Amino acid sequence: MTDDPPPNPALLPSGLRDLLPPDAATEAATVEALMEVFAAHGYERIRPPLLEFEDSLLAGSGAAVADQTFRLMDPDSQRMMGLRADTTPQVVRIATTRLGGAPRPLRLSYAGQCLRVRGSQIAPDRQVPQAGIELIGRDSPAADAEIVLVGAEALAAAGLARVSFDLTLPTLAPALMEAAGIAGPAGATLARALDRKDAAAVTRHGGLLAPVLTELLLAAGPADRALAALTAAPLPPPARALADRLAATVAAIRARAPGLRLTIDPVEFRGYRYHTGVSVTIYAPGRHEEIGRGGRYLCGDDPATGLTLYPDALLRAAPARAPRPRLFVPPDSDADVAARFRTLGYATIAALDPEADPAAEARRLLCTHLLRNGAAVPLPPTD
Amino acid sequence: MTAAFPAPTPEAETDAPLILALPKGRILAECGTLLARAGITPAADYTDESSRRLRFPTNEPGLDVVRVRPFDVATFVAFGGAALGICGADVLMEFDYPEIYAPLDLGIGRCRIAVAEPRATAGSDDPSRWSSVRVASKYPTITRRHFAARGIQAEVVELSGAMELAPGLGLARLIVDLVQTGSTLKANGLVETEVIAPVTSRLIVNRTALKTRPEAIGAWIARFREALAPVRAAA
Repeated sequence: MTDDPPPNPALLPSGLRDLLPPDAATEAATVEALMEVFAAHGYERIRPPLLEFEDSLLAGSGAAVADQTFRLMDPDSQRMMGLRADTTPQVVRIATTRLGGAPRPLRLSYAGQCLRVRGSQIAPDRQVPQAGIELIGRDSPAADAEIVLVGAEALAAAGLARVSFDLTLPTLAPALMEAAGIAGPAGATLARALDRKDAAAVTRHGGLLAPVLTELLLAAGPADRALAALTAAPLPPPARALADRLAATVAAIRARAPGLRLTIDPVEFRGYRYHTGVSVTIYAPGRHEEIGRGGRYLCGDDPATGLTLYPDALLRAAPARAPRPRLFVPPDSDADVAARFRTLGYATIAALDPEADPAAEARRLLCTHLLRNGAAVPLPPTD
Repeated sequence: MTAAFPAPTPEAETDAPLILALPKGRILAECGTLLARAGITPAADYTDESSRRLRFPTNEPGLDVVRVRPFDVATFVAFGGAALGICGADVLMEFDYPEIYAPLDLGIGRCRIAVAEPRATAGSDDPSRWSSVRVASKYPTITRRHFAARGIQAEVVELSGAMELAPGLGLARLIVDLVQTGSTLKANGLVETEVIAPVTSRLIVNRTALKTRPEAIGAWIARFREALAPVRAAA
């Protein structure tokens, strides 16, 4: 008989991580910077619970994340509860119930952790922080543009000035397929081929739509080129209306932020699969992950749009912040002097024991400065 | 936290050459013809399988070529290590990475992924009565999905080569493998019983790379598309 070695106590379940100094502080500061911009634009913060009844959490837009939701039984009510995998369904519940009477357009913001059942090989995290905004009660290019512009400003506040916004129309491909009478399993196969931009499969399964879908698929790229391809494409009226709306949204964004980098992917429709109109995914150049995602959806019967940013991805994409200087405060120093340095942005590290060599002790505790005669004396780096 | 590993800085990466991942082996020679038509000339030793070099500059300053195993082409592109790649539809079906786009069918490396079994057992019983079947394959995902759609659990014995030996040596009843001419199957006493899918090589693209460097990636897709045009016209 063989015995497995005892598990290492440091081992965490897959996709879960400890954030250590300085990353935990940086993540919190990033979230605060985002929330400050959201609040400054009138997005008021709400804080839904981590857990709620499965039926409300997975209703409507929540159905899209049902297979990623951890469930547990409430021993109290004997009903199933779900741990949120996305915050937007909770905002929808709040906006349609407790805040049902609040004046529209309703602007709400939130920040919190979400859990999902499984990560992927490429994005292995199962606990994902989110910070986002929802704009409920208006269906207009101006509302679509506001979400993008506030998102860009928040990202700049978090240190990411060069980002690109990829606009999509998740309902365009379904509208084209419906007009062409492609439904059922054939529709699902074609939808999958479009999702993977598999041109060969689109040609094979697209029937009469194949040429236009292929053109639109290859038009993904800079906004102007893609809009030109949409204008040139033979679209049935419902799809034409969507394309016109996208063009109006681009114009509304350009009017206020001409320098913002915009790309368009006309036939992409992935995402949380509850989006009903112009949607957006945010990328940072040189990073291989999304840093945010959002779009238009239905909040009960109200039109709504929103944007979720991923602070963990921001943390990896943003330049490192300068850490707070650490000031070692020897025993019997003046408490008021230490307090003054704290207001100047220092972290003060109080000596708890008498020290023969305060400078050596300060270095051992990774301090950058030593308090001596009322001044912060920089310590040379140890190596 | 996750162990940090050196990543190219975002600023530098936007100007860095794009990387095209090519599959070693069967397809590499056919790729050469296509690259030539697209105006890409990699360093001379790239077709030399004995060369120890893995990354090769090309005549285009904005493009480097790497040579990896066919299955790894998909992985390099999915993670964004290579922005572009050429790999078989079989690999895309097996891994099914949502991060990979396959915007062009290159029409090379034509073959099929198929089920085969020993001539002796083929047709000897009714597969619709099976609850499960043991299959040797290097495509566990495709195999499981194919049989699950028929209501059969596939117990996959994963092998990375010489699949044809498995039924005869008692590892499995069936095999799922790439079939080009069928002569290897025949030489080992196997018959092809079902085609799962036709396979050709695709130009693949990392999704994020397409979104963040649309001009550069779009230009390469267009060049490969043009390189294909005469072939299509002739076909």
